[in-house]
Amino acid sequence: MRTKLISLLLSMVMLLSLCATAAYAEAQPVTITYACWDSNQAALLQTVADEFHAANPNITIDIQVNGWSDYWTALEAAATGGSLPDTFWMHSNNIYYYGANNQLMDLSDYIAKSDLVDLNNFPEGLNAIYNIDGKQYAVPKDYDTIALWYNKTLFDAAGINYPDDTWTWDDLRAAAKALTKADGSQYGFCAGLHNQEGYYNFVYQNGGQIITADKKSGYDQDATIAGVKEYFSYVWEGLSPAIYDDKARGEAIQNGLCAMGLFGSWNLSGFAANDFMKANFDCAVLPAGPDGIRSSIFNGLGNAISATCAHPDEAWMWVEYLSTEAGQKRQAELGIAISAFNGTADAWTAAYTGFNVKCYIDMVAYAQIRPYSNQTSIWEDKAYELLKGAYAGTDDLTAACTNVASRMNDALMAE
Amino acid sequence: MRLNLGAASAARERVSAATRNEWYWAWGMIAPTIIGLVVLNIVPIFQTMYMSFFKSGAFGKGNTYIGLENYRRLLADAQVLYATRNTLVYMVCVVLITTVLALLLAVALGGRIKGKGTYRTIYFIPMVATPAAVTLIWRWLYNYRFGLLNHMLSSLGITPVDWIDNPNAAMLSIAMVGIWSTVGYSMVLLIAGLQEIPRDYYEAAQIDGAKPVRQFLHITLPLVSPTLFFVLVTSVIAAMQVFDIVYMMIGVTSPSYDATVSLVYLFYNNSFKYSNKGYGSAIIMILLAMILLITAVQQRLQKKWVNYM
Repeated sequence: MRTKLISLLLSMVMLLSLCATAAYAEAQPVTITYACWDSNQAALLQTVADEFHAANPNITIDIQVNGWSDYWTALEAAATGGSLPDTFWMHSNNIYYYGANNQLMDLSDYIAKSDLVDLNNFPEGLNAIYNIDGKQYAVPKDYDTIALWYNKTLFDAAGINYPDDTWTWDDLRAAAKALTKADGSQYGFCAGLHNQEGYYNFVYQNGGQIITADKKSGYDQDATIAGVKEYFSYVWEGLSPAIYDDKARGEAIQNGLCAMGLFGSWNLSGFAANDFMKANFDCAVLPAGPDGIRSSIFNGLGNAISATCAHPDEAWMWVEYLSTEAGQKRQAELGIAISAFNGTADAWTAAYTGFNVKCYIDMVAYAQIRPYSNQTSIWEDKAYELLKGAYAGTDDLTAACTNVASRMNDALMAE
Repeated sequence: MRLNLGAASAARERVSAATRNEWYWAWGMIAPTIIGLVVLNIVPIFQTMYMSFFKSGAFGKGNTYIGLENYRRLLADAQVLYATRNTLVYMVCVVLITTVLALLLAVALGGRIKGKGTYRTIYFIPMVATPAAVTLIWRWLYNYRFGLLNHMLSSLGITPVDWIDNPNAAMLSIAMVGIWSTVGYSMVLLIAGLQEIPRDYYEAAQIDGAKPVRQFLHITLPLVSPTLFFVLVTSVIAAMQVFDIVYMMIGVTSPSYDATVSLVYLFYNNSFKYSNKGYGSAIIMILLAMILLITAVQQRLQKKWVNYM
């Protein structure tokens, strides 16, 4: 019995000493986690992280990627459990939800004390998204717009002129018709069931709204329904395949299935690495609506720090590094995204000489900020669920949109 | 039963220190499992039941009590009806086909054939693979334009099937993946059950001139019924909780979502996507009630068809 007790005590002592050394080892170098949802950007951000680590050897950045639809689910679960990543991307959809519920660190003091970060260097609209009640919860990272991608080879074969800034909805439809083959092996347009890279653009080009200034749903407005109808009709009339999955839209143009499609500027690094896209594709501004209204959905991400971050100073050093003019320029050079810092966008354009990416920056002049509310995710995903019947052609569109509007209003009132 | 208090107290005094020591060791051995079971399984059941009477607030704080409102909403929700129907259909299809297949395989692989061990390993491997990885691969196999299945069908001259986005085909696709991944496990259990049957019965039957089919129906089936009962009960419980296969293959935007959403998937969407953990908890309580009911019914029927030797 006594020998048993001694052996038990000895093993416990050994275990404790192991824990102590492990804890001590962690006190020196710091690892900052950085969560994001775009694997293309993450691969390039790793270069920036390595450069940061070279400049600050005791801080290592751990980039964690989760797909868009899973990112917010995982982030909320982490927040509820008190284990948010140290730094992460913030989006207009959820900034209020996280900021107002004390999940994000208020960066105002850090920004005021920093010589390198000045919010005046970023577009005011982006600063405003991440500012709640005078507290800045995220520093703008980039912005993006949506452009029209077209397959030059297929256009040449059909003898159609390339899209340019004179195009309207009619031109788009005519080109799509000419490029659709009756046997279903080729479609003129890729109208996937997507909002930002899809029908939102058509809605605003038609003068409609998704959400009004006084936080009511715009889905039941006639102009909105007409905009959605114009987009869905590509599927109804066989000018586009019915695509429900996000990734499948990119695959459709990369496999030569569709001749045109709407894609955001964040896709560039993936497109530029794709041989088929490099050889055959180019981009142009979106066509104008029937009344000549031009619009492209515009959004900007921000870098935020969690309120429960164990190493706030080191986390701020990383966010600061990403937000200085040099850091923003570096990110643009690498082609990660259109950096938000004023004047660095040209560096991004220079990174992609094979495509007419300047069109993305040209559209900012008339771009529409992506519709958002305090808890956007709740009604945005529900809208997909309710619209997919109309998209497939089995439900009536007006009834579906009205349904979306009422569910969206319920969600907005509950906020 | 006569209360013999004198004998009982005498019995108590006769429990020696050695016996008590054994008891302590026994409790110590099972303590980790029991503690894990209670903390990770039992307590959350009650917490979920508690949660189902609330409307959850942001990040787990500020839950408001709303009584039976979640349950009332549940009864009126068409999606809950679809989910219940889908889960039951999936369960019936998968359990029946898996058990029948597993039994036939167990009988085939219990006999004297070459490479028995290899076959058993091949059939069991799907159980070892992660459900998420398995589902992703099957998703590519099922891809309408570029998947292997449609490629094979079109080379045979049959029109390709939209396995995932066609509501009629989607349940079949999910069930196929479910059957494929669980046949091995049931088969291994049934092989073990078959080995318990004494050879003498078969020899006697052979002498009497019984054909293999008759032997199977009158010897194998009755004597493997305890294991079969176990396989059925556990398969039903597992099948009712199907989630990863549906989650990774069919998204909310897919047209076949309503035809395949299972109760656990609906719970996940409501609790985590739509941030309504109270409603999600109510849904999962319904699932719990259903599984308890079905298992109770199975226990009752046990007396009718299970032969314990």
